[in-house]
Amino acid sequence: MQTQVLMITIVFMLIMAIVFARVVRSVKSEKPLERIETKRRGMIWSMLIVGVIVSLGSLRQWPHSIPTAGSTKSEIVQVNATGAQWYWEIDTTEIPLGKTVVFNVKTTDVNHGFGVIDANGTLLAQTQAMPGYTNKVKYVFDKPGKYRVICMELCGTGHHSMQDEFTVIANTEELGG
Amino acid sequence: MSQAENTKHLTPQAGLVKLTMLISGAVFALMMLIGVVMRASQGGLLDMEPDLFYQLLTTHGAGMVGTAGLSGAGIMWYFLGRHVNLSAKMYIGFLALFLIGVVFILVSTFVGHFGGMWTFLYPLPAMSAGAWEPWAAAAFMLGYVFIGVGFLLYYLAVGVAIIKKYGGLGRALGWHVVFGKADVTEAPPPTVIAAAAVTIFNTLGIVVGAAVLVASLVNLLVPGFVVDALLAKNMIFFFGHVFINASIYMAVIAVYELIPEYTGKKWKSSKAFILAWSAILLFVIAVYPHHLLQDMVMPAWMLVMGQIISYLSGVPLLAVTAFSMCVYLHGSKFKWDLASSLLVLAVAGWSIGAIPAIIDGMVVVNQVMHNTQWVPGHFHIYLLIGEVGMSFGFMAWLVKSKSQKQSGMGAMDKLLLTSFAAGGAGFTLMFLVSGALSVPRRWAVHMPEWFLQDRLATIFALLVVFSILTQVIRYATGLSRNTAK
Repeated sequence: MQTQVLMITIVFMLIMAIVFARVVRSVKSEKPLERIETKRRGMIWSMLIVGVIVSLGSLRQWPHSIPTAGSTKSEIVQVNATGAQWYWEIDTTEIPLGKTVVFNVKTTDVNHGFGVIDANGTLLAQTQAMPGYTNKVKYVFDKPGKYRVICMELCGTGHHSMQDEFTVIANTEELGG
Repeated sequence: MSQAENTKHLTPQAGLVKLTMLISGAVFALMMLIGVVMRASQGGLLDMEPDLFYQLLTTHGAGMVGTAGLSGAGIMWYFLGRHVNLSAKMYIGFLALFLIGVVFILVSTFVGHFGGMWTFLYPLPAMSAGAWEPWAAAAFMLGYVFIGVGFLLYYLAVGVAIIKKYGGLGRALGWHVVFGKADVTEAPPPTVIAAAAVTIFNTLGIVVGAAVLVASLVNLLVPGFVVDALLAKNMIFFFGHVFINASIYMAVIAVYELIPEYTGKKWKSSKAFILAWSAILLFVIAVYPHHLLQDMVMPAWMLVMGQIISYLSGVPLLAVTAFSMCVYLHGSKFKWDLASSLLVLAVAGWSIGAIPAIIDGMVVVNQVMHNTQWVPGHFHIYLLIGEVGMSFGFMAWLVKSKSQKQSGMGAMDKLLLTSFAAGGAGFTLMFLVSGALSVPRRWAVHMPEWFLQDRLATIFALLVVFSILTQVIRYATGLSRNTAK
């Protein structure tokens, strides 16, 4: 997903940069601009229409929804993770492949950020760990192997070293708990 | 512009504003040098202890945000002085309180080793795990209180002056034109409309910031006094978001006032302009939850609001400020100089930077981009190329001599502009690429596989520093030469 986001961003940024470059050249233009306010209104309406479409498309299915009622309970794996300066305590080291995992994230001291990255270093999911609250984030792992948990919210001088790991197991019979 | 018009536009406190911009320029340059050192350290080019890195990061963040606010305030004061009577004593009070605050912050970070970031996210200031003493955290937050009180004094002076002349903030915002029967020719000038909006939202932001600062200070003194962490985070990000936005919305006044001097076309307070600034007033206040998109305990409606208003914030920027500037520039046949080039580049940078910001404001994207280097990527585009660009454009205009006005861009001007634009673009692009590669922000120590972007960013940052340092020196020498403005 991140690569697509970067590509889309760069394309839009380039288009905008080209527009401004043309505007700079237009300082010398002899041709007067026509229907300025019509163009402005068109721009505003276009942005609003695109905004409605993008908002509906991206929010129709709430990205933070946590499966509870109506879900098959056996299909949901609950994992508790607690942050502290500067380590993670995770109540399991092994997680089953292909099941919805709900991470219940807490902290014993300051704010931390619970981030899960794969073997390539790509961030898959995250949530904040906040004093007095339990934040929940779900993820379905579709590849077995080692995953790392890192800290995504500055929590003091050991912030960058606050890391842990777990393994996603393909064969659930191997799960040790 | 004729000499008579120039005289009419003299600002009573121009000397104070020039001093403000000199301080701002020098601090910007110093903070940029700290930025280069940090990127070089992340890239393995320098060996730095993590403790020192986080102190520098805290200094850089607080220093840059504060200086953006200071330079924006200088610009707004200068041009608002063309339309209303402003109190020099209040400005001196603001500047003095700001500088006292800076001393507190520098003592806190460099003597007290405070490294809790410019966001002082509760309860980190009180829970450093031994990295700094409580007095250092208290000094940092007291520094903010001084700066905040200084800004409240500043906005009090601005608000009083505007109300005296226009009879109310609503009229200063032009509401009697869009919601009443008044003709558009009775609308206040763009500078007044912008100043009224910023005065309202930044006063709100600073008051909320002061409340959470006091709560955090009490928590330092009496650890048993516990603050709700979610409430504190909401208040901190409301304050931080509003304050940094205010800096750029104040600085854009330089575009409204100076671009017409080049194009010969007055920047009009049209109905679209008035409505845009009313929308900005609402959006700046309501958009802050987009900083909390990964706090799943937040009410969902607030996060939805954060995403939608993030997007909508782009409309007044692109369809009104940027669009109008493009229209005014078209066919105006003026001769480019460093000041006009930087001002136009700044609006372009602000507009371009809005794209990755809006994309990151989507909940679904934010899930994998939040607190990665994508974030400093987008805010450095509109703050470095945008706000800093506007500030240095204004500074270049302040010290522009008559002979320079005729000659346009010299070779040195072209070099400085290119170095700033190319360096800024490359530097910020490296942040975006790193963000897309999931590199977390605010890590003192980086993995070797992230070094390439860090090192390229260091080189690009050096180009920016060369341009900014040279511009500060030229501004300082130009001040003694030019007293026309």
